[in-house]
Amino acid sequence: MNESPPAPVELAGVTRVYGSRGTAVRALDDVHIAFPAGSWTAVMGPSGSGKSTLLHCAAGLERVTSGSVRIAGNDITGASDAELTRLRRTEIGFAFQTFNLIGSLTAEQNVAMPLRLAGRRPERADVHEVLAAVGLADRRRHRPRELSGGQQQRVAIARAMVTRPAVLFADEPTGALDTKAARDVLHLMRRMVDERGQTTIMVTHDPAAAASADRVVFLRDGRITDRLDRPSTREVAARLADLEA
Amino acid sequence: MLLLAWNTFRERWQVFAGAILTVCLGVALVQSSLLALVAAATAPIPAGLAPEAALALQGAYDGALTLLSMVLALAAFVAVFIVASTFGFTVAQRRRELALLRLTGASRGQVRSLLTGEAVLLGLAGSVLGIALGLPLARFQTWLLVRLDFAPAGFAAPWRPWVVAVSLGTGVLIAVLGVLAASRRAAAIRPQEALREDAGAAQVMTVSRWVLGLVFTAGAVVLFVLFPAGDAAMPVWFVQLTPFLVTVPLVVGFAALAPLIVPLAAGLLGLVCRGALGELALANLRSDARRSAATAAPVMVLFAFTAGIGGTLATVGEAGRQELHATVDGDFAVAADRDATAAIAGIDGVAAVSAETEAMFELAFAEAGASWYVAGLGTVVDPDAYVATHDIAPVAGDLADLSGASVAVSPSEDYERDWRVGDTLRMRLGGEEFDVRVAALLPPTVAGPHYLLSPDLLPEGAASWNHVVRLADGADRDAVAASLNEIGTVSTVDGWIAASAAADERLTRDIMIVLLGMTMLYTAIAIVNAVVIAASNRRREFAAARVTGLGRGQVVWLAFLESQAVVAIGLVLGALAAAGSVLGAAVALRHLVGITAVSVQWSLLVGLAVGAAVIVGATSLVTALSATRTPPIRLVASRE
Repeated sequence: MNESPPAPVELAGVTRVYGSRGTAVRALDDVHIAFPAGSWTAVMGPSGSGKSTLLHCAAGLERVTSGSVRIAGNDITGASDAELTRLRRTEIGFAFQTFNLIGSLTAEQNVAMPLRLAGRRPERADVHEVLAAVGLADRRRHRPRELSGGQQQRVAIARAMVTRPAVLFADEPTGALDTKAARDVLHLMRRMVDERGQTTIMVTHDPAAAASADRVVFLRDGRITDRLDRPSTREVAARLADLEA
Repeated sequence: MLLLAWNTFRERWQVFAGAILTVCLGVALVQSSLLALVAAATAPIPAGLAPEAALALQGAYDGALTLLSMVLALAAFVAVFIVASTFGFTVAQRRRELALLRLTGASRGQVRSLLTGEAVLLGLAGSVLGIALGLPLARFQTWLLVRLDFAPAGFAAPWRPWVVAVSLGTGVLIAVLGVLAASRRAAAIRPQEALREDAGAAQVMTVSRWVLGLVFTAGAVVLFVLFPAGDAAMPVWFVQLTPFLVTVPLVVGFAALAPLIVPLAAGLLGLVCRGALGELALANLRSDARRSAATAAPVMVLFAFTAGIGGTLATVGEAGRQELHATVDGDFAVAADRDATAAIAGIDGVAAVSAETEAMFELAFAEAGASWYVAGLGTVVDPDAYVATHDIAPVAGDLADLSGASVAVSPSEDYERDWRVGDTLRMRLGGEEFDVRVAALLPPTVAGPHYLLSPDLLPEGAASWNHVVRLADGADRDAVAASLNEIGTVSTVDGWIAASAAADERLTRDIMIVLLGMTMLYTAIAIVNAVVIAASNRRREFAAARVTGLGRGQVVWLAFLESQAVVAIGLVLGALAAAGSVLGAAVALRHLVGITAVSVQWSLLVGLAVGAAVIVGATSLVTALSATRTPPIRLVASRE
């Protein structure tokens, strides 16, 4: 295994068009990008630049109009719902702006849910380990509404990580958090990338969040216009301002 | 999956409590009707009873049986309808949660089994409660039947152990059936809907809704058109079934198409509703057509069935009244305890008099080795006198031949028997069995009599006679009336017809109480339920409205306006479905007996409409008040 493994997520010539001829909108326009294993990529761009569409297409939530998407070596461009469900169980984890925990289940049960859905018996130790990794070992029995926003987001990340997915998709993970909680969550994500080699793709508005990533990709009008490696918050903010000007 | 089902159940118990309640009441209603039906079907006729009494008792049980089968059918239909709409609605409200499950790796099958698991739990819980509630309900139902004379005194519906299994099965089955369509829809929810901030019901008019709605509406239209044009020998009582043939499919069709109709209706209401609040209320109606439709559906059922069944029965009754007016050619009706023809005929100024009394009999039928008896009610008349006081022309044969062992029959009584003049029937009357000849065929009739018996068939001991008296031209009405008064109880023919029409109305009212009373109470509870469930999901929405600048009072008023608009939509749809049945009955009657009559129980319907508006309005006021108790900013800011 000396040669570099295939990228967990790879988009080749992806175009996504919404609407029909007269009112067609090109949300993504011939996007080529690979997300290398063990790296954290932030996707930025002005509103309507196609960030979310990129994330949805890369995660197999939306079909592409043309081009192909590969996740963990599987071409998902024409995959069936069953195939996509299997991928979501094993290869993909999600974290959202609005946490999206199941309100009726405890933190522990929320984290175990993907395993249970996959028909695996969740090992108590695995679940505890993941919860401990996000620093919530003592909040296992709490329900989401008994947790702060930052804690809820950490539970959501634990849930996404429990299946050891090939890629973690994060959609504005700090968007609903205060500065302190946001910083904690970003630290946590950084640690997951560094310690576990968790490939992560994150859409964000926040230059500070983007600066935690290994590289930042800038989108505008559905095209990738720029990249930065290991940028500072200031650089990201400046680049974003240029883009929006 | 079962754990998740159980947890969701615990978490959302307020919504599910509503679902359990609908199952519980539905099961109780079906169980009680079933017990009463079985009791009526197996009721023993005590030995040693006089043949007449035994016949009357059997007749009473048969009547109760017919009524109860309709009660059971209606209860089952309403239970399935209400439970299905409640469940479908709760699933629609959980789109986001279900999409999230899909996103975390649940397959379509798993979403389906989650919902089915919930339905089984709800069904079980509801059934157990329903079985217990069914006991006092059955007692009440039999009491009501006896009280309103639909069942003989002493009629009881004993508890039967097998009914537990039936009720449990029914409850779970209803719940699962109700969730079936909803779970298919839920499984089709796309995972990315969890990512959207506003994961409202995306597509309201699903293919299955279209299919269901169009098929049932078209079916109702076809039945409506075919019904009166069918075999002319259709019996008149069959007309009373139009609510089941026309209103039921229309209700199902409208319920399915309701999300389509709601925006239309909202547009119409927009013409009257002015002002910012009115516009906002209608916009809310339109944008959540699914919710509006779910609340309007039980209102529609309530109104459609009450107006449809009541209107049809009243229309048949009105046709009967008009028929009597047209047929009876007399001035006075005299009730006496004996045949007073001779005495009345002797009074100065009386041109014609005809005495009649009723007799119960049975006709024997045999076919393919089996033989059975069918009970009938005949009127014993003297044909010459009868023709002199009634405008009646036989379709075939001659009423003058009505002597000896002979009868005249109206085909409106029974469409399966193709009787002809000269046929021989086997009759059992007054404990004897003998052959009678069909002397004449009467035209179809609504008010009866369906059988005229020859005076030679008069059973002994007839103690209740009615005489129709026609005066000669220029006779002194008052003098004749005074003389008649010495013979029996006198009323004018108009008064007599009015009295019989009033008795008919009372019967209609009683039938509706038995048939619809409990079912409609159930529907009213379902309406409250739907409003509460609908409001439970709107705290955020209300909060957002308040942050936009609406006062708490305005938000509550908004919810109230919406609720009234929803009631209006339900009432209009219900009225349409009912009108289909009443018009169908009217057209069929016109075809059968040539009488054009439509009768609508306006006071009942207005009362019902006001009642529905008050119930829904009050419930939405209360729920909106409680949903806006929290300061809005906390709700707007808080997630999940």
